[in-house]
Amino acid sequence: MNNSSLHSQRNLNIGFILFLTLLITLLSQISIRLTLLMALGISFGFVLQKSRFCLVSALRDPILIGMTQLTRAFLLLLGISILGFALVFWGASQRNIPLSLNVFPLGVHTVVGGLLFGIGMVLAGGCSTGILVRIGEGFAMQFVAFFGLVIGSVLGERSLKNWRNVFGEWPGVFLPDILGWIPTLLLELSVLSVLWQLARWWQKKQLGEW
Amino acid sequence: MANFAIDIWGEMCPIPLIKAKKKLLSMQCGDILVLETEHSCTSRGIVVWAKANRYIIKEEEVANGIWHLELTKTHD
Repeated sequence: MNNSSLHSQRNLNIGFILFLTLLITLLSQISIRLTLLMALGISFGFVLQKSRFCLVSALRDPILIGMTQLTRAFLLLLGISILGFALVFWGASQRNIPLSLNVFPLGVHTVVGGLLFGIGMVLAGGCSTGILVRIGEGFAMQFVAFFGLVIGSVLGERSLKNWRNVFGEWPGVFLPDILGWIPTLLLELSVLSVLWQLARWWQKKQLGEW
Repeated sequence: MANFAIDIWGEMCPIPLIKAKKKLLSMQCGDILVLETEHSCTSRGIVVWAKANRYIIKEEEVANGIWHLELTKTHD
């Protein structure tokens, strides 16, 4: 850390924190909702950048280099999301708050879209959040990927109806409606823990004892 | 004991890692591979990968956003 080309970024940091504080104070005068969204967004960005969380790496590394640390982190993320999802749903139903769950039935278009997105994210070196984080870090190549992301999102959003019409949708299955919430949670978490063990076994097999 | 270097400037993961893996195959035990990247995730990725493979790895941020890595091949 004694290299002369490693400039201290403290002043920039202080300046940026001041700017964000002012922005949030200003926003809180206009709308509490916007303020909370902004604060959530900033925290998201901070955690994503510091954690070096990378969806591409989580899905690609097991096959490419036999490492599954991030894959397991991803499974943990899914587990926490499932619990949080259930908690929010339960809390909302206790207080009679209407909640849109954004649950959509699967279809062939889901698979096609997933494949396209998967190929794109490996080529671009980042999923959507990964690209945003790396733009923030100043990696110029990701700007190109960002334009692709914007164009693709707009096209996808515009053509979603046609895709649904062309391929049709399988009848939606929402597990909690069939099994109830507790068995669903247990089922989902046990599937995740099996996948976790599988991921650990895979890395051991690929890299030897670890 | 020899030093090797590969050019991974401007490359995004996973290309640097694949190149490093390929280069390591042609190196002897004890040889050092020097890498320099400006991609934060690449640097982290290589360090984690090297540790999981029990190679010796030294990581240094030599300038803001530029990482210098030295990887010693300890085994085949």
